[in-house]
Amino acid sequence: MKRILMEITDFFSGMLKVMFKGSRWFYLWMCLLTLIVLAGLAAYTLQMKQGLEITNMREQVSWGFYISNFTFLVGVAAAAVLLIIPAYIYHFKAIKKIVVFGELLAITAVLMAMLFVLVDIGRPERLWHILPLLGSPNLPRSILAWDFIVLNGYLLLNIFAVLYIGCNQYYGKEPDRKIIVPLVMVSIPWAVAVHTVTAFVYNGMGARAFWNASILAPRFLASAFSSGPALMLLIFQVLRRVMRFEIQDGAIFKIAEIIAYAMGINLFLMLAEIYKEYYTAAQHLTPMKYLYFGLDGHKRLVPWIWTSLFLNTIGFFIFLIPRIRKNFITLNAGCIMIFIGVWIEKGMGLILPGFIPDALGEIYEYMPSVYEITISLGILAFGGILYTLFIRTAIAIDTGRLRHKEAPPIVPEEEDTPLAANIMTRDVISVTPDTPVEEIGSTLVKHRISGVPVVDEKNRVIGVVSESDIIFREVYEEPDLLERVANIILPEQYRVQKKKGSYAIDIMTSPPVTARENTPLRELVQVITEKKIKRIIIVNEKEEPVGIVSRIDLVKAIEKISY
Amino acid sequence: MKKRFNRRDFLKLTIAGLTATTLPGCSKNADWQDLFRRRFQELTPDEIKGFLERLEERYSKQYGVKIHIKATPPVEGVVFGYALDLSRCIGCRRCVYACVRENNPSRDIEIQWIRVLRLKKGEFDLEKAEHYYSPELVPEDEYFYMPVQCQQCENPPCVKVCPVKATWKEPDGIVVIDYNWCIGCRTCMAACPYRARKFNWNDPVIPKEELNPETHYLGNRPRMKGVVEKCTFCIQRTREGRYPACVEVCPVGARKFGNLLDPESEIRYVLENFRVYRLKEDLKTEPKFFYFFSIGWG
Ligand code: SF4
Ligand code: SF4
Repeated sequence: MKRILMEITDFFSGMLKVMFKGSRWFYLWMCLLTLIVLAGLAAYTLQMKQGLEITNMREQVSWGFYISNFTFLVGVAAAAVLLIIPAYIYHFKAIKKIVVFGELLAITAVLMAMLFVLVDIGRPERLWHILPLLGSPNLPRSILAWDFIVLNGYLLLNIFAVLYIGCNQYYGKEPDRKIIVPLVMVSIPWAVAVHTVTAFVYNGMGARAFWNASILAPRFLASAFSSGPALMLLIFQVLRRVMRFEIQDGAIFKIAEIIAYAMGINLFLMLAEIYKEYYTAAQHLTPMKYLYFGLDGHKRLVPWIWTSLFLNTIGFFIFLIPRIRKNFITLNAGCIMIFIGVWIEKGMGLILPGFIPDALGEIYEYMPSVYEITISLGILAFGGILYTLFIRTAIAIDTGRLRHKEAPPIVPEEEDTPLAANIMTRDVISVTPDTPVEEIGSTLVKHRISGVPVVDEKNRVIGVVSESDIIFREVYEEPDLLERVANIILPEQYRVQKKKGSYAIDIMTSPPVTARENTPLRELVQVITEKKIKRIIIVNEKEEPVGIVSRIDLVKAIEKISY
Repeated sequence: MKKRFNRRDFLKLTIAGLTATTLPGCSKNADWQDLFRRRFQELTPDEIKGFLERLEERYSKQYGVKIHIKATPPVEGVVFGYALDLSRCIGCRRCVYACVRENNPSRDIEIQWIRVLRLKKGEFDLEKAEHYYSPELVPEDEYFYMPVQCQQCENPPCVKVCPVKATWKEPDGIVVIDYNWCIGCRTCMAACPYRARKFNWNDPVIPKEELNPETHYLGNRPRMKGVVEKCTFCIQRTREGRYPACVEVCPVGARKFGNLLDPESEIRYVLENFRVYRLKEDLKTEPKFFYFFSIGWG
């Protein structure tokens, strides 16, 4: 017992040390957030004293800014974990860290969402009435009671997963896959459930025409799957700067592509909704009219929703067009656009039209009061502080700065284990996308190699052609759907002219599996065995090929260190 | 069932005990116990009695008036129904004010359980209804009036959505709220299609001389900040055989009330002799509040 206590105090004192040791920027950032939190606390104290009268909510619009933010944040929480799916499918190298950072973000977002509920309810000291056993949750009938359970379950699940991974690393052990994999497997559908149940809270109300559309839950997911990853992309880029977090550009662009699809679905569902309401033009149309064009001169929400629509549409195109999404300036602009666009759409753009006009046809125009905004900013800043500290701890554990004193020291990858740079074959022979297949074949034969990287005009690796690709071409020609469609619908001169399968670009494997020069041997082995490939192209920061590590190189390296 | 209660009691007693002992001034002990009591519906008659006495004492001190709180149970064989004769209603809002005097709602950030809507003759579009009409004289020639209050739905969406069972339908059909259990989440307000539910946005203000001291626990006892309230068909009156205040005050007799199960009742007379309708029937909330027209424009 005493030992456990000591271990815990040890851990926490260590954690405090790494958490609060930082650069001037770090302190500035934390001070700023703390100030906002304090302002929020002050406003909340006032609200506790005076009641919710200091908000602009009233009988007509009985939910406002708080619940709007709650809804949005549940989406962020869900999407942060859902990002594990593409990371897994596309074999992002940093998947372990993506899992941890995603789950940390989910924890933060759920906590913020819960705080938004807490500040919204009239009697927070009675919140325990919703707890099973102690209180009287209205199960199974009340969706809100379900939501409370599902959200808390989600929170606990993610906390457990993160703690488990963290503790293991702290003690220098590899987390057991038999525990991690099921955890992640549960948390993914749970993330979907969390957001769906939240949508159902609104969706099930016959009194509110705007919410009472079956499209609501699917739209929730689609929009969450665009705003959540948009936030993660921004976070990833920051992390990539400040720590050893090797998420490759390829992975980032892949996520960006997913954002485009999710946003596309979201916009489509929105249009479907608009069509249905406008063509029917029945009573259900009124809230939507209020939202997009205003009713009888009441149009406070109109500029908001058009801003959102504008941002979402532009964001969609930014992410849809590969050339634009692969430019970090437009990419980041797009992330911010989509984040704000969805925040409006899933926040005030969703909650308010539920109440305007109200059940008896009255229009009460709502905009949050200064206090509501201050309290909300306070909660968001609190989330910012939490996430910063979480991330710092995660980084410290990962780099070994925070580690149990008896834990085996982290294998200093830089020194002992060889890096890709030490074992790769340099002198890379590469080909361009328009190199004919025959030529590639003779290159392979001449240099006695089994594969070559394909580079674009800026010498960036875009694919690999291996012996098997060449052999494969003979038996199976990969159908290219886009090309086929283009050949059907475009006028002749624009059609894709070249004979299929004759050039490097047609047969190469893309995206290529690449790694940076400082990738440790262990990781190289893992990638090669997991993906059942024969070689990894080693690239520099400009994505130019600088070497190749093939299976035989690995064998040689392993042999060397086993001495 | 029994076992569950035991565990709950134990947990609550522990919390209550801990808080009470750590808190200076143990005179508040009873208050703390009430904070961690069970739901009203789960209390035994004895517990209710003690609880009501403490509440009475607290309220009397707070308002400086002796306040009486009862918890008259529903009468067997009674389900209340209401009918409103739109052809008679003159839109004078006397029901609104009588309700305020009877039911102790807050006067600051005004809460009124009844809303009278003014509609143009020849139209029945709620979106075009005027809520804040104030002519010199009512009735006005080109309008008619439709008062709306809690419809005491047989199938109440407000009850369904409440996450903590703070609101429920009593056996006599009245939908009530336990103001000491409501967490103020306002989900029920979003779910009610008739805007019947009101929230206490601040500490309710009731002038001492206007306070009605005859109250019911589930009805018109003074409420607190942060909870939801609504019309209860004057539960404090009707469970004792009296008319709701609004029925009594209506100068033109537009409001009818009675026991739906009693074939001799006024409400049954209306249902059998006039064509009635209910608001938003399409939502299947099955209100026990009927509207009818007994005469032409006249
Ligand atoms: S009218 Fe509204 S508050 Fe009254 S029972 Fe029906 S849903 Fe509930
Ligand atoms: S406001 Fe009160 S009565 Fe209404 S749903 Fe919430 S807890 Fe239940």
